[in-house]
Amino acid sequence: MKSNREKIREFLGNASAPVKLSFLIMGSGHFRYGARGKGLIYLLIEISMIVYLIRRGISDIIGFFTLGTVHADAWAGVEGDNSVVMMLMGIFAWIVVFAFVFLYQQNVRSAYDLQKRVEQGLPVPTLKDDLASLLDRKFYMLVLALPVIGVCIFNVLPIIFMILIAFTNYGGTIVPPELVDWVGFDNFKKLVVLTKFAPTFGKILSWNLLWAVLSTTLNYFAGIGLALLLNKECVRGKAFWRAFPVLAYAIPGFITLLAFKFMFSYGGPINQMIISHGGTAIGFLDLDAKWSARIIGLLVNCWISVPSIMLLATGHLSNRDKSLYEAARIDGAGKFAQFWKLTMPFMIFATTPVLLGQFIGNFNNFGIFYFLRGGLYMDGYFLASDTDLLINWLYNLSIDNNYYCIGAAISLIIFLITSAISLVVYVKSPSYREEDTFQ
Amino acid sequence: MKNRITYKKSAGNLLDTGITYIILLVVAFIFFFPCLWLILASLSKSGSMYSFDGFFPQSYSLDTFKKLFQDTTMYNYPKWFLNTLFVATGSCILGTFLTILTAYTMSRFQFKARKPMMKATMVLGMFPSFMGMTAVYLLMTQFGLINHLWGLILIYAAGAPMGYLTQKGFFDTIPKAIDEAAKIDGATNFQIFTKINLPLAKPMIVYTALTSFTWPWSDFILPKLLLKEKNLYTVAVGLMSLDETEFARFAAGSVFIALPIVILYFCLVKNMVDSVSAGAVKG
Amino acid sequence: MRKKLVAACLLACMVFTTTACGSGSDSKAASKSGSDGTGSALFTGELEENVTIQVLENDTAISEGYFQELIDAFNEEYKDKGIQAVDANMDQYLDLANDGPYGYGPDVLYQANDVIMKYAEGKHILPLPVEDLDCYDQIPESAWQAYQTEVDGKTYTCGVPVNVQAPMLYYRKDLLPDDWESTWDKDSDGVPDMTENWSSMYEYSVARHSEDSSKYGYMKSLNDMYFASGFLFSYGGYIFGDNNTDASDIGFAAGEAEKGANVLSQLASAMNEDCIDDTITTNAYSKLADGTYFATISTPDVYSTFLAELEKEYVSEGLSEDDAAAKAKENLVMTSLPQLPESGDLTDGSTEMIDSKSMGGVNGYAISSYTKAPNACLEFVKFATSYEMTKLRAETLGVAPAREDAAEEVGGVSKEIYQNLDNGNIILMPSITEVSQIWTPGQTFFIDLAKDVYRPESEKKYTSLESMKAGLEDMCNQINEAITTLQ
Repeated sequence: MKSNREKIREFLGNASAPVKLSFLIMGSGHFRYGARGKGLIYLLIEISMIVYLIRRGISDIIGFFTLGTVHADAWAGVEGDNSVVMMLMGIFAWIVVFAFVFLYQQNVRSAYDLQKRVEQGLPVPTLKDDLASLLDRKFYMLVLALPVIGVCIFNVLPIIFMILIAFTNYGGTIVPPELVDWVGFDNFKKLVVLTKFAPTFGKILSWNLLWAVLSTTLNYFAGIGLALLLNKECVRGKAFWRAFPVLAYAIPGFITLLAFKFMFSYGGPINQMIISHGGTAIGFLDLDAKWSARIIGLLVNCWISVPSIMLLATGHLSNRDKSLYEAARIDGAGKFAQFWKLTMPFMIFATTPVLLGQFIGNFNNFGIFYFLRGGLYMDGYFLASDTDLLINWLYNLSIDNNYYCIGAAISLIIFLITSAISLVVYVKSPSYREEDTFQ
Repeated sequence: MKNRITYKKSAGNLLDTGITYIILLVVAFIFFFPCLWLILASLSKSGSMYSFDGFFPQSYSLDTFKKLFQDTTMYNYPKWFLNTLFVATGSCILGTFLTILTAYTMSRFQFKARKPMMKATMVLGMFPSFMGMTAVYLLMTQFGLINHLWGLILIYAAGAPMGYLTQKGFFDTIPKAIDEAAKIDGATNFQIFTKINLPLAKPMIVYTALTSFTWPWSDFILPKLLLKEKNLYTVAVGLMSLDETEFARFAAGSVFIALPIVILYFCLVKNMVDSVSAGAVKG
Repeated sequence: MRKKLVAACLLACMVFTTTACGSGSDSKAASKSGSDGTGSALFTGELEENVTIQVLENDTAISEGYFQELIDAFNEEYKDKGIQAVDANMDQYLDLANDGPYGYGPDVLYQANDVIMKYAEGKHILPLPVEDLDCYDQIPESAWQAYQTEVDGKTYTCGVPVNVQAPMLYYRKDLLPDDWESTWDKDSDGVPDMTENWSSMYEYSVARHSEDSSKYGYMKSLNDMYFASGFLFSYGGYIFGDNNTDASDIGFAAGEAEKGANVLSQLASAMNEDCIDDTITTNAYSKLADGTYFATISTPDVYSTFLAELEKEYVSEGLSEDDAAAKAKENLVMTSLPQLPESGDLTDGSTEMIDSKSMGGVNGYAISSYTKAPNACLEFVKFATSYEMTKLRAETLGVAPAREDAAEEVGGVSKEIYQNLDNGNIILMPSITEVSQIWTPGQTFFIDLAKDVYRPESEKKYTSLESMKAGLEDMCNQINEAITTLQ
């Protein structure tokens, strides 16, 4: 391994003038060594980058630091700056700059490679060769380009935006047209200093974790169990039986939730039946109903999630290697043995991602308690109720009470904790470490 | 002796089958009952859910459905329905395409950024998504994509590959031996993907298509944010905007949402359980 | 030489623009001296030509056909001036602060005063020259105040009140006992007692329920802060101090507000568990129609819904559509809230009564700051708030106009509401942002209060006036924490 300094020295000593010129005019090295097409692409990239910087890139980056200097005043006809838009476009500009720096590096590196190839008398790959390799050796680059760009713009960018909001005073009365400012770690300091804050956070986090674990386990095993049951040889008319869960799956979640909320409400059919049989109405979801509301939440969530897990598991089951089962039968293994030794390990391996996806989805399950039991603040909780998950609490803070920046700070903390946990679990899981088990 | 064993076995089988069917009946009931309730509620004559006799309405009529499709001055359900169908079909095609490709790549190719990318997507999924909604809205105003159904498709499709893990898990179970055999025969990676892996992944493609088709039918946060004109509403946003006294219409609208999804399911169900891999490895 | 000329021109331009700004604010100041409010300098009086203005109206006005009549009349009148008003076709609860700056909002919007004034803080709506409107003298001062905001010591009016929303009592005349004139009209004024004071209403509710356990008297979910808080205001409670502008002073527990809580809890005891969640809020329409409930409270704009339900019921009983419509109109009564006993106890037989106060709102028009045609918008607002249009609106929708002349003309309930607003019995919703933080803590308290009635004796929390006071104070604390803790 050569050290970086040595590499640079070697490069400076050996690189030809056109390659060095690539630092200034991208693609010039490629032109010199006959890779015209690639050179032209690099040149176009550089030109469009310069145009972008002049037209808005530079002002966007400056705006990222100042977050606006002119206060808008619609009554006086002053258009002014919109701090949040400036921040967003600033982040966008940074992403473009980083992408450019990466391409810039590639440009010099690949020009230097070309020089070496030519010096060694190797053939120079044409643009056509490069394109062909995109279908073969570098197929992954072609394929991933689009999803990566999409995810960067519509997922990563908003997340960076929210993380940065945690370091500003955005929220409350400071929303556009007011100018937002960077405030460093003030929001986090507030969270530490406030004594009201920690108990609520602790209570909600522990319920949130319990909820995520319980509902994930319940949904997962119920879903897999149902798929296995429907996959049994003795079941005739599989498509018919499977249609019932699919029907449930076809009705949007929020409608299901509203329907269940109504069923369990005081005037709902369940209470009507209780009353007509001489009982007194039960508040399944009301103020005092902490645990019954939680359990109903678990079961309703199960009702909503099981069909999709079942469908997925069905897909996996049909992908089993049937020859293994034949071999097992020849070896005299019974049905039970086949199930425990072949089916279960396979299913658990193939569906670990589902388990993780379920965990993440349930951890951040906003809808369930928002629809079933929204609009309550409990004693001992700060702006939250005893069924609220962290995401509901965040919603209360940032949307209902306008504390965007505090909400962002909390979500950053939650994010750090949960992502650390799930990352450790994921990295240790067989579907991450031993991807080849069932090859 | 031999006879006794078969006899015992078949008795066991009978019991097993019986229990299986009992469980199936229970499961079917659990899933069907709330749906049935919703369907019958949508056929309620009175239009109010509180005039029900216990669980079900006292009298039925088709008026609500007629109203749903004919009385469109305030609530233009047919238009919403077409909008949603457009968005759902668009994001289903684009989203499925991107997700399957991403999952396949992550499963089959070895490259430097692979494991970091896997971890990164895992972590990104943990971020509470509505916190980023402000940013998505601002972004779309900058791109001028507010009040465009295309904008919605773009976001759904762009977000779809984030859920590639499930599909990757599936590709991980397709034997690599097939790929290598094809490679020896001189196929490029592109050909291996389109000619060999794609047909094998049919159940997974169907599953992905179904989920990405269903999502726009039930999501209302994003369309609510990006579609300001009532004529552009999707069904979910429209139903949420219904007046509280319009319960039967709400129920009718909800039942009707389920229809395209159920139809899609029955069209695709054959492909879902069709197993081809067992034969493929041997052949 | 030429360079110099350009420089001079530039300079002239700059001076001109600065003085233009200056004169703009001068003229504002000048017109200010004339009256209370003042409009934006954008209102030059010169109508923009060939413009389409997007108007956001509320859903009832659209579904009842009033809005179509309004824009048709307006478009007819302004056809030759090239101004056209169209339905903005957006969500009636849209947030202008969110959409307007990016160019997606309506030009003219009709919303509640608390919502509109939230926009005024960010200057998303224009201050209007209201003194030029012909409705100016017809609308009471308190309604104008709901649309006023103070910026740099000057008072601006940012909206034009159109109609007043306040809780009203709905009841069915045909459900009164047959002999009510002899037994339920002690003051023999021809109006049943139970619709005049809450004590009698409570008495009748208990009587009606004990006669037939499936029937009830007065029913209303307690969890609705908008309706429940009026009981607190009647006994001295208020929302925010200093005329609803000082969020550091939260007054739900002020005065003898606990008496109001006590009345609420007594009323709840004559209902059933449905009053804990929002069951009654949604089923009141059909339950009032089928005779399960005798009375409820709601806002005037849902009168048509109650009426339609009752008509349906009569039709199903075998009446022809016309007869049913006439009978429903005859029997469904909407009236001002009954009076409250001064003692705060519905059962002690005291006859000293006080007026019921209630939380209310004034819906009105405002003009977006992001409109391209402010003068045309102002013309529309002028047109829509004219006497004829206000009257038509009140007649079609059954709402109570904020204009005195229209209220007089329409008479009945409209007049009652107008008078209640005029004499301060309707407390208008505060126009400051902090108001959004009162709802959930308030709702939680009222649910707790309602639930308490149905808790077993040993678990009851609110057994005395003191404990109710403590509960109210708790709620105020919670609101205060929500507002201040994270600031």
